[in-house]
Amino acid sequence: MSELPTATASTELGAAPRSMPDPVNVSPWTSYTTLLRWTLAQIGSLLPLVIIIQALLAAGIIIGFGFLIPDIDSATAMFLSTGAPTVLLLTIGLVIVPQGVSRARADGSFDYMRALPLARPLLFAADLTVWLIIALPSIAVAIVVGWLRYDLDFSFDWPLLIAAAVLVTVMATAVGYAIAVSLQPMLAQLVSQVLVFFVLLFSPITFAASQLPEWFQTVHDFLPLRPGADLLRAGLAADSFEASGRDLVVLVAWCIAGIVITVRALVRRR
Amino acid sequence: MDRDVLHIAGLTRRFGATVANDAVSLRVRPGEVVGLLGHNGAGKTTLVSQIVGLLRPDAGTIHVGGTDAVADPAGARRHVAMQPQAQAPIDGLTPRTAIEIAGRIRGLSNRDARAAATGLAEELDIAQWLDERALPEGRGLSGGIRRLTAFAMTVVAPTPLLVLDEPTNDIDASRRRLLWNAVRRRGDDGAGVLLVTHNVVEAERIVDDLVILNRGKVIASGSPAHLRGTHDGDLRLELELPPGGSDPTADARGLPVAPLRLVRTGRRVLMTVPASEAAPAVAWATALRTRNRLDGYSLGPTTLEDAYLALASRGSDDAAPHATTAPVPLEAPNV
Repeated sequence: MSELPTATASTELGAAPRSMPDPVNVSPWTSYTTLLRWTLAQIGSLLPLVIIIQALLAAGIIIGFGFLIPDIDSATAMFLSTGAPTVLLLTIGLVIVPQGVSRARADGSFDYMRALPLARPLLFAADLTVWLIIALPSIAVAIVVGWLRYDLDFSFDWPLLIAAAVLVTVMATAVGYAIAVSLQPMLAQLVSQVLVFFVLLFSPITFAASQLPEWFQTVHDFLPLRPGADLLRAGLAADSFEASGRDLVVLVAWCIAGIVITVRALVRRR
Repeated sequence: MDRDVLHIAGLTRRFGATVANDAVSLRVRPGEVVGLLGHNGAGKTTLVSQIVGLLRPDAGTIHVGGTDAVADPAGARRHVAMQPQAQAPIDGLTPRTAIEIAGRIRGLSNRDARAAATGLAEELDIAQWLDERALPEGRGLSGGIRRLTAFAMTVVAPTPLLVLDEPTNDIDASRRRLLWNAVRRRGDDGAGVLLVTHNVVEAERIVDDLVILNRGKVIASGSPAHLRGTHDGDLRLELELPPGGSDPTADARGLPVAPLRLVRTGRRVLMTVPASEAAPAVAWATALRTRNRLDGYSLGPTTLEDAYLALASRGSDDAAPHATTAPVPLEAPNV
């Protein structure tokens, strides 16, 4: 309080203002961890809801699809149950992420964050980290449902499982983000809705690729969906399925494409 | 120019056929609060969006703290803290956490950020909401408290340039006063402030300079006294017309005095008259009032608002100076 009269007096006397403040100088790590705290607080409250939705979706796929197949044998049940985690990760990345980004673009918070004094790719890094934290429990959820329903014996290849889960999530989030930052919000919502159908019904994730026409199998060799699912499957049931290096390359290529498009859109001025 | 914290020269930005900024030049020196006035669509937000690298200019230069913001937008952003017109994304956070996070992003230590949050809550009188959580769909915290929180997030750390886009929206009168004082204090502490506002009357008290933008062009700039452009002896006669009533000033021959300036906005007519001729003008207005041609009238000192409205309407339809009688196609500013 004792400072107040002095400050007023100096203003009245027209004293020169104090020196200009320095520009912001913060390490990328501090920016990243602070953004992470911010994003977690915003999306964190959704976490319980997302896990419940994931559990319902997992039950829908594993139990519901099971009804479509009469007298399901244990190999088919295993295929179905090991495909379900991929479907869950893809739904988060390709549907929930673009909806969130479209909303942020519409209400101005996307530009608010882009105006902050930090390297804009860090915004994506923080978002990606939070979506990884939210998405990864869904693998456990799907496995528990499969185990309860069909009493399956999984054989985990942990390094492969972790790598595949992270790659599929990063790919789906990056591609979902890229869709949301490249298209008009309405169009982005529409595309993400169509993608759910494509993932659920037209992608050899919960059924074998051999059931598709040959040309469509070739298409799926270049899309990230089947390769991602097969890698994750090999990590969950290493005794029954094998990982392929080509699948890994396709998945990594899609990851890079999604990240490049997203970072470009974040940095670019309209 | 080296001393300017913000130096904009010849800035032009088009959207299709619309020229949103047309060769705009302005400067903000350290310690100076510059008000940017203009009605909706005048190009204010387009201008500030280019300062922080959200939009790319078609022509012209922007220097922020000596850094070329067109060539190095990321470097320029480190000199700027901006409060945009949209609400800050603080859902899920309390004002305290939001201000602390903003402080960390702007380079404060954890301890300084905590102290700054407490200090700002006192300064803006929002301490009682400091630990209430903002929830989605506008629940938890009112719009005014969210806006004050966003302001606090912007000014939490000393920054060379503050850009505030309509910071007083949704805020009650007593806290608006605290906010204006807080803005002035940042200027006195050495920051340059670019203040975008509709609130001409309130902003007049704290700004050093004003820039008036109309249809993308700077139509006037200078100190409030300079822009007011009239002598201290001049007075303003404000007439309130009844709904659907005809404008008694429409025909200049019926006027008791030759007004220095005449502006109509909605159902209000603002006449600037020399003090020596106030008496006949008031007698004339009283006569109109008794005949119910006016809902009311008042006489007071001239304000910047009169000048602003006159400038803005002149810019809109190129009418002769000091005799603008056409209906003013602009949103009435907050008074």
